[in-house]
Amino acid sequence: MPDKRNGEGVGRGEISPADKANFERRVGDLGKQLDEARSKQAENEPEDSAVRARGMAYGLRMASELVGAVLVGGVIGYVLDQWLGTSPWLFLVFFLLGFAAGVLNVIRGFTRLQAEIKEATRGDIGRALPDDEDD
Amino acid sequence: MASEGASGGMPDPIHQFEIKRLIPLDLFGYDASFTNSSLFMVIAVALIVGFLLFAIRGRALVPNRTQSLAETAYEFVANMTREGMGEQGMKFFPLIFTLFMFIFTLNMLGMIPGAFTVTSHVVVTAGLAVLVFVTVLIIGFAKNGLHFLKLFVPSGVPIYILPLVTLIEIISFLSRPVSHSVRLFANMLAGHITLKVFAGFIIMLLGAGAYGAIAPLPLLGAVALTALEFLVAFLQAYVFTMLTIMYLNDALHPGH
Repeated sequence: MPDKRNGEGVGRGEISPADKANFERRVGDLGKQLDEARSKQAENEPEDSAVRARGMAYGLRMASELVGAVLVGGVIGYVLDQWLGTSPWLFLVFFLLGFAAGVLNVIRGFTRLQAEIKEATRGDIGRALPDDEDD
Repeated sequence: MASEGASGGMPDPIHQFEIKRLIPLDLFGYDASFTNSSLFMVIAVALIVGFLLFAIRGRALVPNRTQSLAETAYEFVANMTREGMGEQGMKFFPLIFTLFMFIFTLNMLGMIPGAFTVTSHVVVTAGLAVLVFVTVLIIGFAKNGLHFLKLFVPSGVPIYILPLVTLIEIISFLSRPVSHSVRLFANMLAGHITLKVFAGFIIMLLGAGAYGAIAPLPLLGAVALTALEFLVAFLQAYVFTMLTIMYLNDALHPGH
């Protein structure tokens, strides 16, 4: 902290004009430094890392969404086959249905993510694209 | 990490996941022993409760460091809940916050060398996922009655493919607890095995004469992986919580 303690022992409302000017100058300086630091931070840090964390979370999710649904479909088909003695037909049918459900999961997750990002950036997303195409 | 499994030269990467009975206990024919897994769950709960109680002991308007850490955790989960479910979702905040803190602490405890990673066992994560699944079912039917089944019947679908779509929706719904639990356990398991294997490479290279010169390479890899694992430990807790919120939201408002 560049700013020294203002410990002159002056009571409330007893600041001399020189002290006050000095104080205001220091507050201004501090504000400027703060703005500088904030803009520097905004350039590379918070927005970027938050979006990246969300993106990574999304990526980690989607693979297992797909696999999970295929697995469930396969197991349902297999159990029904064992029960009804129709091996391997229901297994094949439910395996494919599971795959469809997995794709549905992924599409839904993506739609949701897109809506979230759109909301977070207030529709700013994709602005760079049309600009590029104008050139 | 490498110290515990080095039995006979080649370190065993699976050894760290072994369940050991600390206090054998047999309840009505079921093995209900107090294991190292139970021990770490107890440690996690004690840590969470202890930390939160310690952090808010002052109840200061201007928080000190520990209090602001506790407040950060609270606000992080609270914001997630409000974002995902709106203000009415705060009714479920205790459940969501507990799940997040529990999983996060267990994942982080697992990063301590020699510690047991509870979340690397599918039984534990499946238990948590089923807890969420059953909660969603109960709340869904309690709030919406049979309208909850609309979740499986999307509107605007032609009648001749409706049975097919409904079947797919049901599978999609049933796949939730599976992917919910598998994701958490698989990520923790794979991460810890990878760490262990890399650590094992160091020992094997050091024991291989001239090849010991390249032993620092897997060491660098292990260091980088450790950092990645810390990130994964947090992300997995975050993803688990986020999905819990999403599923609970579906229970409150079925029909997309």
